[in-house]
Amino acid sequence: MSIGGRSSATATARLSVVVAALSVPAFTGVWELVARSGIVNTVLFPPPSTVAVAVLEWIRSGQFFADLMASLARVAAGFAIGAAGGIVLGILTGRFRLVSSLLSPLFHILRPIPPIAFVPIVILWFGLSETGKLFLVVWGVFFTVWLATHIGVQKVDRGLIRAAQMLGTPQPQMLWEIVLLGALPYITVGLRTAVSISFYTLVAAELAGAFAGIVYRIEIAQQNMQTGQVMGGLAALGLLSFVADRSFAILAERAVWWR
Amino acid sequence: MTPSLLRPDQPLRLVDTYPPSAAARQAIIRVEDLSIVFDAPSGQVIAVDRVSLAVAQGEFVSIVGPSGCGKSTLLNAMAGLERPFEGQVLMAGEAMRAPRPEIGMVFQQPHLFPWKSVRRNIAHGPRALGKPKAEALRIADGLIEMIGLTRFASAYPHTLSGGMQQRVAIARALANQPSVLLMDEPFGALDAQTRAVMQDNLLELRERINATIVFVTHDIDEAILLSDRVLIMSAGPGRILKDLQVSLPRPRSSAIVAEAAYLALKRDCLDLIRSEGRRAFEQMEIKT
Ligand SMILES: Nc1ncnc2c1ncn2[C@@H]1O[C@H](COP(=O)(O)OP(=O)(O)OP(=O)(O)O)[C@@H](O)[C@H]1O
Ligand SMILES: [Mg+2]
Repeated sequence: MSIGGRSSATATARLSVVVAALSVPAFTGVWELVARSGIVNTVLFPPPSTVAVAVLEWIRSGQFFADLMASLARVAAGFAIGAAGGIVLGILTGRFRLVSSLLSPLFHILRPIPPIAFVPIVILWFGLSETGKLFLVVWGVFFTVWLATHIGVQKVDRGLIRAAQMLGTPQPQMLWEIVLLGALPYITVGLRTAVSISFYTLVAAELAGAFAGIVYRIEIAQQNMQTGQVMGGLAALGLLSFVADRSFAILAERAVWWR
Repeated sequence: MTPSLLRPDQPLRLVDTYPPSAAARQAIIRVEDLSIVFDAPSGQVIAVDRVSLAVAQGEFVSIVGPSGCGKSTLLNAMAGLERPFEGQVLMAGEAMRAPRPEIGMVFQQPHLFPWKSVRRNIAHGPRALGKPKAEALRIADGLIEMIGLTRFASAYPHTLSGGMQQRVAIARALANQPSVLLMDEPFGALDAQTRAVMQDNLLELRERINATIVFVTHDIDEAILLSDRVLIMSAGPGRILKDLQVSLPRPRSSAIVAEAAYLALKRDCLDLIRSEGRRAFEQMEIKT
C-alpha cells in the first residue's frame, strides 16, 4: 500500500469518529425541526426540547430517583435470585444424570413460555405485591441461566475433571471449583442474555400494576397524555438497560480472568 | 451387538509374568484378564482385549504399541478412570473402582487447570487432600524448583509452552507423593532436545522417589532407556504381545543407545513391531 493510501485510510478513520460523535445530536436536531415544522402533531410527537423539560421536571420532583430505585431493585433482586438458582440447578443437572432426568424435561416445557404470559396468573397469585414482580423477573432470568450453565457444564473439558479426580478432589470442590469455573465462559454468556431479559420482564411486571418504577411512570404519563414524559421514560429505560449491559460485559470479561 | 470377547478360535495369549513369577508375586499392580469396551456410534469397540500383566513394587514398566491400540485406555483403567468390561485391576491387592490419590497420573495432554497459576496447579492435590494452604504451597515451590520453572511460578498455563506445561503436569502429579505414577506419553508432544532433557530428569527423579512407574510411549528408544521391562502391545484390539526384560545397568543415561546390548534389544522390539504392523495393515486391507 502506498503512503498516500495509508493517510487516506487514517483520514477515513478520523472522519468516522467525527460522524459517530455527531450521530445523536444530528438525529435530535432533525427530530426537533420536524416536530416544530408543523408537519406532525406535537402532542403525539413532541420535540426533544419538550422531552428534556419533562425529564428535568421528573428529576426535580424527586420522583425520578424513587422510580429508578424501584425498578433497579426489582431487576437486581430478580436477576440475583434467578441467576443463582439457574447456576446451582444447571450445575446439578449438567453433572448428574439422575437430576437431569428429573428436572430437564420440566424445564424444557416451561422455558419457551414467554414470562409475560404469566402476568395474569401472577396477579391472581400475588396481587400487585412486589413478590409477584420479583417472580416474573426471576422466572425470565432463571431458565436462560439454567440452560447456559447446563450446556456449559457438559462442555467442561473431561480431561480437567479426570485430572482433578486423580488428585483426590472431593466432590463439593469438584462441583464448585472445577465444574463451575470450567463452565464459566458459557455461564457468563447466559448471564449477559439474562440481563436484557430481566428488563423485558420488568416492563411486564410494572405494566401489570405498580406504585413506582420507570415503566409505571411511562404508563401514568400515557394516561395523562404527557407524551414528553412517556418519551423521557423510554429514554431512561433504554439508557439504564444499556448501562447494565455494558457494565455486565466488562464484568464478564474480568470474570474469566485466566484468558 | 455384543462383542465377541471370548473367541474360542483364538488361543488366549499369556504374558511371561502371568501366572505370576517370583517378582510378580509382590506385584503392586496386577491387571487380570482385563477387557474394556466402548460404545461408539458404529457399534462397540474393544479397546483392550483380555490383558494381564503385573508390575512389581518400584519397577519401571513401559508399554509400547501402535497408535489406537488401547494404551491410554489400559492406563486409564489402572487409574480407576475406566470401568472394566471384564476382568479387573488390582492395586496393592485392592480392586480399582475409582481414582485414588496415591496413584498419580500424567495424561497425554497436560490438562492443567487454566484458571490457576503454575504454583496453585501444583498445590491443588495437597490442598484437595486437606493439607493446610501454607504446606501445600511449600510442596509446590519445591517441585517448581525441581522442574526449573521458578520464574513462572505465578504464570497461567496458557502463557507456557507445551513442554513447560507438561513439566507442570508432572510436578502436579508428584505433589501428592504417589506410590504409583502412571504416565501416558508425557513427552510425546515435545521436541527432541526437550525430550532428552526430560528423560534424563525422569531417570534422576526415579532414583530419588522410589515410585512404581508405568510409562506409555510409542518411542522404543525411550522405552528401553527408561524401563526395567517393556511390554509390546498388538494393534487394536489391544493385547500384550511380548514382555521384554531390559537388564541394562543403572543408573543409565541417553548414552546407552550406542551399546550392543541395547541395540540387540531394540532389534528384537522393532522386528516384533514390524511384523505386527504388517499384520494390522493387512487386516485393515481385508476389512476395507
Ligand atoms: N471414549 C471413547 N469412546 C469410544 N471409543 C474410544 C474411546 N476412547 C478410546 N476409544 C477407542 O479405543 C481404542 C484405543 O484408544 P486409546 O486412546 O487407548 O489408544 P492409544 O493406544 O492410547 O493411542 P495413541 O497412541 O494414539 O494415544 C481406539 O480404537 C479408540 O478409538
Ligand atoms: Mg493414547
